[in-house]
Amino acid sequence: MKTEKLSQMATAEEVIEAVAEFSREAHSFYTDLVPKVTKDIRYLVEDLARAELAHVRMLSDLMKSPDMRDHLKDAIRRPEADRRFSDAVQAPELGDKPDDQQVLQYALAREQVALEEFSELAANTPPGLLHEVFSFLANEETRQKADLEALYYEIVHSGGV
Amino acid sequence: MGSLRDVLSPFTAWKHVIETPVTIRNPIGREAADGYRGFHQNDIEKCIGCGSCEVICQNAAIDMVPVSDPVDGDSGLRPKIDYGRCCWCALCVDVCMTGSLTMSNEYTWVDTDPDAFRFIPGVDPKPWDDLEKGYRREGGRVLTGAERVEMGELAPEARIDNFDEIVAGYTREQAMIEADRCVECGLCVATCPAHMDIPDYIAAIREGDYDLGLQILYETNPFSEVCGRVCTHKCETACAARHEGDPIAIRWLKRHIVDNVSEDRRLEIVGTPQTLPTRRKVAIVGAGPAGLTAAYDLARQGHAVTVYEAQDKPGGMMRFGIPEYRLPYAALDRDIAVIAAQGVKIETGVRIGHEITMDRLRAENDAVVLSIGLHIGRSTRIPGTEGGGVETAIDLLRRITAGEEVPVPKQVLVIGGGNVAMDIARSMARLQKVKHGAVGVTVTALEDFAHFLADREEIEESLEEGVEIIDARGPQEVVRFKSGNRKGEVKGLRSWAVTSIFDDKGRFAPQYDQGDERLHPAEMVVEAIGQAADVSILGEDLTEALDWNRGRLAVDVAGRTSEPWLWAAGDAVHGPDVITAVADGHRVAASVGAMLMAMGEVAR
Ligand SMILES: Cc1cc2nc3c(=O)[nH]c(=O)nc-3n(C[C@H](O)[C@H](O)[C@H](O)COP(=O)(O)OP(=O)(O)OC[C@H]3O[C@@H](n4cnc5c(N)ncnc54)[C@H](O)[C@@H]3O)c2cc1C
Ligand code: SF4
Ligand code: SF4
Ligand code: SF4
Repeated sequence: MKTEKLSQMATAEEVIEAVAEFSREAHSFYTDLVPKVTKDIRYLVEDLARAELAHVRMLSDLMKSPDMRDHLKDAIRRPEADRRFSDAVQAPELGDKPDDQQVLQYALAREQVALEEFSELAANTPPGLLHEVFSFLANEETRQKADLEALYYEIVHSGGV
Repeated sequence: MGSLRDVLSPFTAWKHVIETPVTIRNPIGREAADGYRGFHQNDIEKCIGCGSCEVICQNAAIDMVPVSDPVDGDSGLRPKIDYGRCCWCALCVDVCMTGSLTMSNEYTWVDTDPDAFRFIPGVDPKPWDDLEKGYRREGGRVLTGAERVEMGELAPEARIDNFDEIVAGYTREQAMIEADRCVECGLCVATCPAHMDIPDYIAAIREGDYDLGLQILYETNPFSEVCGRVCTHKCETACAARHEGDPIAIRWLKRHIVDNVSEDRRLEIVGTPQTLPTRRKVAIVGAGPAGLTAAYDLARQGHAVTVYEAQDKPGGMMRFGIPEYRLPYAALDRDIAVIAAQGVKIETGVRIGHEITMDRLRAENDAVVLSIGLHIGRSTRIPGTEGGGVETAIDLLRRITAGEEVPVPKQVLVIGGGNVAMDIARSMARLQKVKHGAVGVTVTALEDFAHFLADREEIEESLEEGVEIIDARGPQEVVRFKSGNRKGEVKGLRSWAVTSIFDDKGRFAPQYDQGDERLHPAEMVVEAIGQAADVSILGEDLTEALDWNRGRLAVDVAGRTSEPWLWAAGDAVHGPDVITAVADGHRVAASVGAMLMAMGEVAR
């Protein structure tokens, strides 16, 4: 279990790898879910899978970037949110035939966890490249969460007059 | 040869050369009086292209010409004035619905091109465009009344312990005065989803010709009893009269026409299908306004139409959603009677997908129309929502209409800030008043009052009836008793204050103040946050075969799905109101009718 690996400090590489794993798990979770949900709400799960894949790609590009390479071994204080974050990597508590609202609530909860993780990582790193990277990732999560919230309102708080 | 006088008179004029002239020789540069009625100016942003100026001009000096694309409430036309005809009477300025048209005090204009004297004020630049002096109507419009005739309503204390209709309807005199305010500009027509011929039916009221009025209503809408009462009246937001005054009470005037034509007479005027039966069969799923409008049109084209309805009575949300105090069932029944008289078969108590499958409908009919509305009530799914004491608004409303027993505790909490929330709050208030002698309903909405979804009048009437409305509260938990003899029962709703609900781009992005937590005591919580369509009736294969558009059935502009035998209309694909469902019903019927006609041609 990833939670067992936790210690106070970690390298940047470990942290980013954990984050990438979080997105990879999510991507395969959503991909598996696609054929299970009815066609009318499949778009939602497909969109979420696409977003997670984009995330994985972005993180992998980041690890490969020359600027980043010099900082991969930098020590970072593990965030408080890490436990919840690590749990969320492999705890998809979503039944076999979820409806649109369940999928959205699940995705929102994940975004919230990721957002907290990145915000803390940004706060734990001094100004410099790593700080910028985590701030950027935190902003990305904020934007994605905002998109999901808007979609949630549109779908769930709709109908009638 | 003329007389000597004719020959000499030109010369006699010369004697005046040495006299001081009574008029000045060269008026150019001499300013007119401050309030002089000189050349026209038009504030082009304010003008709505209603054409009232064109209609009133006795010299036919004004033509309305297109200058931009029409939008709701603005025809895109602007007045063009012909100074070869104008007599500067200023009637156009006096009648102008917006006050955009004025006259400067400039009165001299020299040009060798006669066509130059026909121009579009405000569009064709002129030296007097910015002059302050001149003639402008003082005060508001006087040629057309600015104030709406008040509608008689039951007082709150007279209505709170019953479901009697609140609105009285106009008397003949009231309707005449209101109809007289309409300038017949037709700006409202484009905004009405069904494009009802509003100016003409209002003109029929003025003429006192209710038969004609009814005939005009039925050209576009078989639900005028309903729409005359509960229409969302978007048309009124585009009405020319709303500038410098109240919009015309279009909805109430529509109702006034139906109030004045008996049921029997309606059947005589509307008549029955005048074509031979085509022997084509159409099945319609759902007897709401969309399905029944499509049924009406298709039956009048001579097709055999059967409408299948899951409930025991037809009408959809018009009966099982909208409360009786806003729309009496008898009024709805009168509209449906005219539709049924066209030979439409309405099979109630039949739920497609259960008693009859979609496959069977497809096999037994030439076309199928799906108009199933949105009948699944959404839940916030916050902790505590599962279990007794939590209801959805539309389910409760349905049970109230069906005459079923519903729980009526002394304190009810409604989550939601739209009209459905107001409908259930006011219905529960009435039931509480009868049972307990007092109203105890609280509505909590995410939105603050500035962003409330419910109509202003719904909010006002709810407050008058003693409903408490608390804005900007985010529901967190339905709290239940943890011990004692009420263990497990609902104790209330825990909420946080919402500090803002939308971000700067207007997107939903709620921000809460967790420090401002409240428990709203209640024995029952009713969720009125949204609805969804029950598309499970389609079955897995059809669901897979169909195209979808972000959660809704994908339809083309005519309402046809990706399956050539299946159309969809109403709330399930568009929404959000009765008149949109009516418009959808027409659109789908036209498309189905064209397909059936083509099938007939091929068969021949
Ligand atoms: C509480 C409430 C208040 C409203 N107030 C207003 C208002 O004031 N003004 C306004 O313009 N609009 C109002 N609306 C909205 C309006 O009622 C709807 O927009 C309109 O009725 C939609 O018409 P429709 O024909 O698409 O669906 P509906 O009216 O919902 O009708 C669909 C019908 O299909 C039936 N059905 C569903 N599934 C099946 C099945 N499998 N087999 C057979 N039958 C089935 C349903 O029982 C229902 O009768 C209100 C809605 C609600 C809920
Ligand atoms: S001033 Fe009189 S005559 Fe001239 S355009 Fe206006 S209404 Fe017509
Ligand atoms: S009456 Fe006034 S608002 Fe209407 S078209 Fe004429 S100038 Fe414009
Ligand atoms: S109701 Fe209003 S917008 Fe419609 S024709 Fe009359 S004045 Fe013009």
